[in-house]
Amino acid sequence: MVDETPIDDTKTRISEYSRRCADSFTRETRMEEPTKESEPRITTDSLSMSYGEFKALEDITVQVPRRSITAIIGPSGCGKSSLLRCFNRMNDLVEGCRVTGEVKLDGEDIYAPGYDVIQLRRTVGMVFQRPNPFPKTVYDNVAYGPRLSGVKDKERLNRVVEESLKKAALWEEVKGKLKGSAMNLSGGQQQRLCIARVLAVEPEVILLDEPCSALDPVATQRVEDLLAELKERYTMVIVTHNMQQAARVSDFTAFVMIENQGEPGKVVEFGDTNHMFTNPVDERTERYITGRFG
Amino acid sequence: MKGSNGAGGRERVIRFALFAMASISIFSVLLILLFIFKESLPAIRSQGFTLLTTNWSPNVSDPSAGSYGMLAFLNGTILTTLGGMALGAPLGVGTAVFIIQIAPERIEGILRRGIEMLAGIPSVIIGWFGLTLLVPYIARVTGTSGYGILAASIVLAVMVLPTVVVLSMEALKSLPHELEEASLAMGATRWQTIRHALLPAARRGILVAVILGMGRAIGETMAVQMVVGNARQLAFSLTERTSTLTSRIITDMGESTGVFRSALFAQGLVLLLLVMLLILGVKLVSRDKKVK
Amino acid sequence: MMKPKTADRIATIVFWLLGGITVGVLLFIILQIFGRGLLTALNPKFLLGKPEAMKEGGGIFPMIISSLYLTGLTLLIALPVSLGAAIYLAEYSREGRVTGAIRFCVDSLAGLPSIVFGIFGMTLFVIYFGWGYSLIAGAFTCAILNLPTLMRSSEESIRSVPGTYREASFSLGATRWTTVRQVVLPSATPGILAGTMLTIGRILGESAAIVYTAGLFVRKAPTSPMDTAAPLASYIWYAQTEALIPDFRRVVDGGAAFLLLLVLLMNFLARRLARYYQRKKLAGGADG
Repeated sequence: MVDETPIDDTKTRISEYSRRCADSFTRETRMEEPTKESEPRITTDSLSMSYGEFKALEDITVQVPRRSITAIIGPSGCGKSSLLRCFNRMNDLVEGCRVTGEVKLDGEDIYAPGYDVIQLRRTVGMVFQRPNPFPKTVYDNVAYGPRLSGVKDKERLNRVVEESLKKAALWEEVKGKLKGSAMNLSGGQQQRLCIARVLAVEPEVILLDEPCSALDPVATQRVEDLLAELKERYTMVIVTHNMQQAARVSDFTAFVMIENQGEPGKVVEFGDTNHMFTNPVDERTERYITGRFG
Repeated sequence: MKGSNGAGGRERVIRFALFAMASISIFSVLLILLFIFKESLPAIRSQGFTLLTTNWSPNVSDPSAGSYGMLAFLNGTILTTLGGMALGAPLGVGTAVFIIQIAPERIEGILRRGIEMLAGIPSVIIGWFGLTLLVPYIARVTGTSGYGILAASIVLAVMVLPTVVVLSMEALKSLPHELEEASLAMGATRWQTIRHALLPAARRGILVAVILGMGRAIGETMAVQMVVGNARQLAFSLTERTSTLTSRIITDMGESTGVFRSALFAQGLVLLLLVMLLILGVKLVSRDKKVK
Repeated sequence: MMKPKTADRIATIVFWLLGGITVGVLLFIILQIFGRGLLTALNPKFLLGKPEAMKEGGGIFPMIISSLYLTGLTLLIALPVSLGAAIYLAEYSREGRVTGAIRFCVDSLAGLPSIVFGIFGMTLFVIYFGWGYSLIAGAFTCAILNLPTLMRSSEESIRSVPGTYREASFSLGATRWTTVRQVVLPSATPGILAGTMLTIGRILGESAAIVYTAGLFVRKAPTSPMDTAAPLASYIWYAQTEALIPDFRRVVDGGAAFLLLLVLLMNFLARRLARYYQRKKLAGGADG
């Protein structure tokens, strides 16, 4: 989308984004209470993951702060999506997938034996690369989660659906066609519907796996605006291949990469987005960020 | 968190119930083998090798006094099957090639639907058709009764046609398009491409199609019974009345008792083993394919 | 340089001929059966009349009822089992020894001749269970016979549901069973229905597995599942083999035409259903 922009111009734009992000970040942190609120929401400790023989991730140690957006960036195939899927144990569904090390949500190890995965996925929602609404009505898509947890009351369902769609900035566009098929919405609308569907479950964390990769620039803009709004209430982790997007929306960034072909992905650098984009500590980060723009 | 154990427990129960339903197929196969074998034991015990002779002289009032050699019917099954395949296999494979390679694209769908229709026609109807049209025609041309291996072979050819065509079409369709393009690009004609590139590449799939068609032919009952003549003698001539294993079973099962009935089950057992052998053959052919 | 071209031309003619023969045979059979029997088949007196054992002028009403009854009972038994098995194979099982054994047995069942099912059903259900020649014995036999077809078509439809639906459902905290019931099955329903229609066609046309389990001839329509029945296909065979009625030709012609009509109707419905839902899905109008 951006590859042809001259370097200098891009660099000034990055620093501008970073400044904006940093501003909003400090505003956020000032509002937070210093005790529990300042503790990270998700922490991993020497997390490793493999598919059968193939080791996809190794020795990942990151901390995802509350009420912020953390971006995971890195070249394709580095394992960023795999890392994201460790946070709600979606990797469990892949045959032969094994996870070692620790992933803690609010201090509780989610890979501990007997941990309730179903509850975990209701607390940690997920938005996927391609919009994947069910082939049901708009209403039934949003009501899917609440119905799973046993909500049957019509009034309450109506309220949850409306609120979720409003939060996802989609209400105005679809309020007349709640009973129409979700498949009839545009790609951008479908993706926001998927976000509304997640919100209806009342999660605390939202994982986003390249949520804009299938959308056009205008729809992307709308989703990004939405994320900025949602940050007030939710902890979000976003995987993106788009450096500008990471710079625009995130507060913190983890850079994942593979050293050599066939080796597992590792976190090269993790920290404040603003800082990382202007003053990367690791040389490889610098090379990746500038390389991508050059 | 509280409901988690309940949900997990429910999941386990459902998983088990579904597994139980899936294993019904295993039980069915075992039960069928067991019952057919058990029922044929009396005949195997009392008749021994007589079962493998051509001497079929059942005794309805005193079954154990009869003689129950099935060789004539096994011969009938083998000859009608081979006859059916000799007609049906080339016709089927040729039709598959025609549909995929030669027929204009807009009639491809119509042809495919026609084949599906043919597969749906009940065997009694094909049999009735053979009995009222084919048999009299053969009788007129050859001056015989018209019943026999020839009539049965033609009926079987029609019955195996859908299996052979559909599976051969699948085998041809699964070939990479590049294969055809490469051959055509080298200046080969369409026939040379079919003969030297496509058919050899699809030969395993076509072999599977023919074997499965054969399985259908061996087991086909009603249509064959209606045209084969149901005589007890060994026949080698195309227009001599004879029987197949299946036609004998269906004709005699109603009025047989004791060893007579048991001998029919023994024929069923032979039928079953023949078909199992073919299925095993299919497994071998398709496994080889994966290795290569 | 001329030779390959000539060969190609000859081959093309031969292939047209082969295709033509296949289509010709099909058309000839269908036209013959309809030409001879359609008038009888559409005569209400024939369709709604009682069969005669020795005299002329019988109808096939009890046979039609038998066929429909048998089809219904068979589906009642086979559909839940095959659906459950298909869900297990597509959603729950991992490829291993047990799954391999199940698949091998399904393949074997699919390949066994229906006469083998017939004599098996006769021993187990008719004699061993003491049910006699009855609809229920015929239905159980037919259910086992059609298990592989139903299972395969259902499994295929379930597998063709996009994985993204499952992913979305799991990520919202749904269990596997909830996901199957709420998302996978609704999307797979058209395919499963199309497979069911084809199976109905097969059950209607089945005779070798039926004659010695459900029966060949009845005077009045069966009411209880324990009653002896005479499904149309099996009666057609009986009427022409025994030929006790003087006008068996008329009865068999008419019965065959009506049976063919039913079977083709089922095939047509199956295709229509599959296409209708496919188009609906493409247009985005399918509401789960």
